[in-house]
Amino acid sequence: MSVLAWVTVAVFLGAYALIATERVHRVAAALGGAGLMLLIHASDAGAAFFSESTGVDWNVIFLLLGMMVIVGVLKQTGLFEYLAIWAAKRARGRPYRLMVLLVVITALASAMLDNVTTVLLVAPVTFLVCERLALSPVPYLIAEAMASNIGGAATLVGDPPNIIIASRGGLSFNDFLVHMAPMVIVLMVVFTGLCRVLFRRWFVYDPERAAQIMRLNEREAIADRSLLWQSLAVLAVVMAAFVLHPVLHYEPSVVAILGAGVLVAATRVTTEQAIAAVEWPTLVFFMGLFVMVGALVETGVIGQVASLAVEATSGQLGLASMALLGASAALSAIVDNIPYVATMSPIVEQMVQAAGGPGPGQVLWWSLAFGADLGGNATAVGAAANVVVIGIAARNGTPISFWRFTKYGLVVTVVTVALVAPYLWLRYL
Amino acid sequence: MRARDLLTPFPTVTPGTSVIDAARLLADHDLPGLIVVDDEGLPASILPGTQVLRLAVPRYCQDDPALARVVDEAHADALLSSLAGRAVRDVLPGRPRELPVTDPDATALEMAALMARTHSPLVAVVDERRLLGAVTLKVLLDGLLAQ
Repeated sequence: MSVLAWVTVAVFLGAYALIATERVHRVAAALGGAGLMLLIHASDAGAAFFSESTGVDWNVIFLLLGMMVIVGVLKQTGLFEYLAIWAAKRARGRPYRLMVLLVVITALASAMLDNVTTVLLVAPVTFLVCERLALSPVPYLIAEAMASNIGGAATLVGDPPNIIIASRGGLSFNDFLVHMAPMVIVLMVVFTGLCRVLFRRWFVYDPERAAQIMRLNEREAIADRSLLWQSLAVLAVVMAAFVLHPVLHYEPSVVAILGAGVLVAATRVTTEQAIAAVEWPTLVFFMGLFVMVGALVETGVIGQVASLAVEATSGQLGLASMALLGASAALSAIVDNIPYVATMSPIVEQMVQAAGGPGPGQVLWWSLAFGADLGGNATAVGAAANVVVIGIAARNGTPISFWRFTKYGLVVTVVTVALVAPYLWLRYL
Repeated sequence: MRARDLLTPFPTVTPGTSVIDAARLLADHDLPGLIVVDDEGLPASILPGTQVLRLAVPRYCQDDPALARVVDEAHADALLSSLAGRAVRDVLPGRPRELPVTDPDATALEMAALMARTHSPLVAVVDERRLLGAVTLKVLLDGLLAQ
């Protein structure tokens, strides 16, 4: 490798270390790294801004942007509060039934919306319901964070790593529905069973308290019915357009941004409110990452690593996909899975080519997706949803320590990844 | 007209005061806000009356306004009961960027600017590390209108 390539690796590892240790804001680390890559000519404006493979992936950015606006509007409708309180009443205050309903709602919502938003919506109402039932909210919050990570794995839009994988791997929304969603349903069934075992000592049923839950009025949560119906209609059309890609030929990013535009144009939501709902720091973080990883591709580093990976696993697709699944789960438990997947995608792309193209090699993409999405559950810092839930818990006076989360997280990750391995093996290898 | 001409003694609470007692002080004396003092008797936090309510509103209702609507009347009326046994320290919001604290030489304009900037209906007056009292919005406006 050239000197430039080694310098590129040093810049990349430095920025990665700063992101992982949170010594500086992650946006500053990613942009600083990207800036250095441009400064040392490891990348240039042409590659950084206009190349699909070695620059900012605008499909990813605009898909995220569109979904953020749609979610921002949906958030205002009170739908999640309605559903969670409805669930508590349906469960008649039975602690385990309540947990099952809450995790199923969280997983379903996470499949369509991003994980962080889902847990931000479901956590406050969890506190209200648990307070009424005199239950500790801790197991519920932990289970919800994990359900959002598992549920998010099901679709292209459910988890940011999936969005990157879809764009780099040329995979459609339906590919995710066919290859990821069925296994995610199995994992959710197993997960609800695991919750029964893991959290059993927390479930204390109090009939008097349970009667009080019936006095909550979930209908009051919905402030503006027409806004609710309008946003649900737009969400339904957006999901339908994702599925109908083979017929309509609109890219997911185009669907999301058009959906966001229609929602803002057709409802009382103003452009200012829609713009405020967008998490700009996240989008800029993605841009910085893409430029940094692009520089690694431009200078040939990714190519070298990929050929080493191809050599090590040559002709052994089974070994390659199992190693990728395990390593992705382990690494995503320690570092944020978004930069991990952004870095691995170009490597996996070459491994797929070496394995005989998108047909037989596709299993590698699913290994990466399952590993990165499920690995996030392992520790308190493994996924953004975990970090957010722990933050909310601390603010509400019921702190969840790193180890308490991780104790449960490790069990769930080991069990779910262990189930995915035979699924991939039997279906693809 | 300076702060020293307008200030009046103002009751204070400590972080150890129970939230119920703090609420009672506010209501009984018709105060516009509360001054929380530290061990040295200096203002550690100054809470306008509306912010004192924050101490009583569950955090989840502050995070998600829709939740305040779903709670039934009987439970809503019992809002303060959840605070039994809790001290001001447990519910105090994080330290703000600037406290409405000034010195006895402050002019009416300085005090008005400080109140407006910190959204506070009172300013505490401190001299040589001693709390002298406070100037309330009402007293400041009365003084200004009398000119």
